[in-house]
Amino acid sequence: MSTISPKERVLNLFQKKEVDRIPCFSGMGNVTEYALKKMGHRFADIHLDAKKMAEASASTYELFGFECAVLPFDLCIEAEALGCEINVYAHSEGILYPTIKKKLINSEQEMEITIPDDLKKKGRIPLLVEAIKIAKNRVGNEVAIGSYVLGPFTLAGQVMDLNELLKLSFKKPDKVSLLLDLLADAIIMVAEELIDAGLDYLTVREMGATSDVLSPRVFKNLIQKPLIKVISRITIPSVLHICGKTNQIVQFMIETGATAISVDQKNDLAESRKTLGKDALIFGNLDPYNILVQGTTEKVREAVRKCIDDGASAIWPGCDIWPTIPPENFHAMMEEIKNYKGGDRS
Amino acid sequence: MIDEEKKKEILEKLKRAVINYDEDGARDAAKEALEAGLDPAEAIFNGLVSGMEEVGRLFERQEYFVPELLMCADALYAGLDILKPHMKKLDLGIKGTVVIGTVEGDVHDIGKNIVKMMFDVAGFTVYDLGRDVPLDRFVEEQLRTDADLVCLSAMMTTTMVGMKKVIDEIKKRNPKAKIMIGGAPVSHDIAEKWGADGYAKDASNALKEAINMISALKKLKEDAEAKAVSE
Ligand code: B12
Repeated sequence: MSTISPKERVLNLFQKKEVDRIPCFSGMGNVTEYALKKMGHRFADIHLDAKKMAEASASTYELFGFECAVLPFDLCIEAEALGCEINVYAHSEGILYPTIKKKLINSEQEMEITIPDDLKKKGRIPLLVEAIKIAKNRVGNEVAIGSYVLGPFTLAGQVMDLNELLKLSFKKPDKVSLLLDLLADAIIMVAEELIDAGLDYLTVREMGATSDVLSPRVFKNLIQKPLIKVISRITIPSVLHICGKTNQIVQFMIETGATAISVDQKNDLAESRKTLGKDALIFGNLDPYNILVQGTTEKVREAVRKCIDDGASAIWPGCDIWPTIPPENFHAMMEEIKNYKGGDRS
Repeated sequence: MIDEEKKKEILEKLKRAVINYDEDGARDAAKEALEAGLDPAEAIFNGLVSGMEEVGRLFERQEYFVPELLMCADALYAGLDILKPHMKKLDLGIKGTVVIGTVEGDVHDIGKNIVKMMFDVAGFTVYDLGRDVPLDRFVEEQLRTDADLVCLSAMMTTTMVGMKKVIDEIKKRNPKAKIMIGGAPVSHDIAEKWGADGYAKDASNALKEAINMISALKKLKEDAEAKAVSE
């Protein structure tokens, strides 16, 4: 019988050591409505309170055996620390993800920003650090603790108007390059602070640079370099996540030096596996909404098997676990990964 | 009368300017069109819009991506700004007023902006509420502007449910207004289930659908008026 803990399983995977089976975890938010109800918290509450955030992050492990605890749940941490105003929809009883209310950069002239030296003391970064420590105390011996930062381009889209940014990436790539380099410095400062709090792995979310929006050529010329800068400074296992169409950029993603890459259901995983070879760590591809929320338990099981057969290195949802996932689907996902012996992994 | 040769040349210039995201080129070609006495509506539709249609095809073939699309849109607007004031009200057959926005909690607005652009070129009066729009705002704005059509965009399955509330409320407050919904997670079935009057999967279909809906609306109005007169 295997006595290996979920934490060891995940850490071994990152070190490309032998694992008894592939793990089931995520680098993105994964709180469920079911857990929120049990805890008596509203979604809006878990972004502003370290204890509640930590509790929520541990809930998918505690309730379903999901093999990680990841926090926070929104994409506004860095932008807020840099001076943007955010909206957490405090009035809302439902699930509204926090958004940026007021941008930092309002014109092309304002793009040469200065990154404050004490960035790590700003916004909710201290809160997040505290939450990571609480989560670690709570479940850190059993599961890997993860967090995420944004990629420079996606962060740029948070601190300035995305449409402007997209056009400038074409018309004035030098200016955009400069901004991305500055933001990379900011992200590194945040990443170091989070790593110091005791993380086991860190995901870099660069979904703004998906091939649904930007061409692979622009990815290579503009996006890749600042990403490499950030990832080279992450001293723990790192995962580069991009959703949407990614088949044409998986090679560029791996070249950033990330320990693993993460893609969503729009990626043809078998094809990516072929492109990147058998040793690359590729996570993701499990459809978090159409399968995990909308699907039957049988559909969930099928999808898990397909991910394994297509060569996924971990069962890992293509984006945040959607809070409305029915508990029985969550259980089905966890069970299937333990039961399914198929998918010759040699 | 402007000769065919010249007309073709100017239309081609307008079209090229949009495809090559050349704002100055679009402005120059638009001025040339007016000077040559070309019908502004024709310059818009057979020039600028036909350029944008080609851009749409390039986008589908993944030769163009969103930045190119946005820049082409800027070129189109540059030409449109010059031509539009010269357009006679009757040129398009119908005049529509549209309220559009991305629903509360959702900041995904790239798709919404593309749909909005199609309405702008069609000569509709567009009230763009932006993104992350509180649900009540749609209802208030419809009542304030008496818009024919309210367009709701959502890109997330969590925010999409807000559309149903807006639809119910508008149907209650002003049953005459038409509502069209769209965005990646939305489908025909959902639109039907929630009582929306229309759905489109992309921007050009959104415009076709809107024209149909507004024409139907105008026809209803006219019929009712005709009836009232004859009685
Ligand atoms: C770019 C992007 C972002 C940007 C958005 C910036 C912006 N200003 O728009 C940023 C980085 C900020 C972002 C944030 C988030 N995102 Co996002 N994002 C995307 C992405 C990659 C592309 C969307 C896009 O612009 N497509 C291109 C345009 C042209 O297409 P379109 O929007 O579909 O529009 C067309 C049609 O739908 C239609 N249409 C659109 N509107 C309307 C309206 C009407 C009336 C009609 C008729 C037609 C119509 O016409 C348009 C043109 O043809 C998608 C993934 C994807 N590939 O789709 C995820 C995606 C939408 N995001 C997602 C998520 C989860 C998030 C976050 C919650 C992540 C987080 N944890 O915080 C946040 C949410 C922020 C918020 N509260 O809104 C999920 C949604 C999942 C779901 N099932 O609901 C997606 C699908 C990614 C995924 N793989 O799961 N995101």
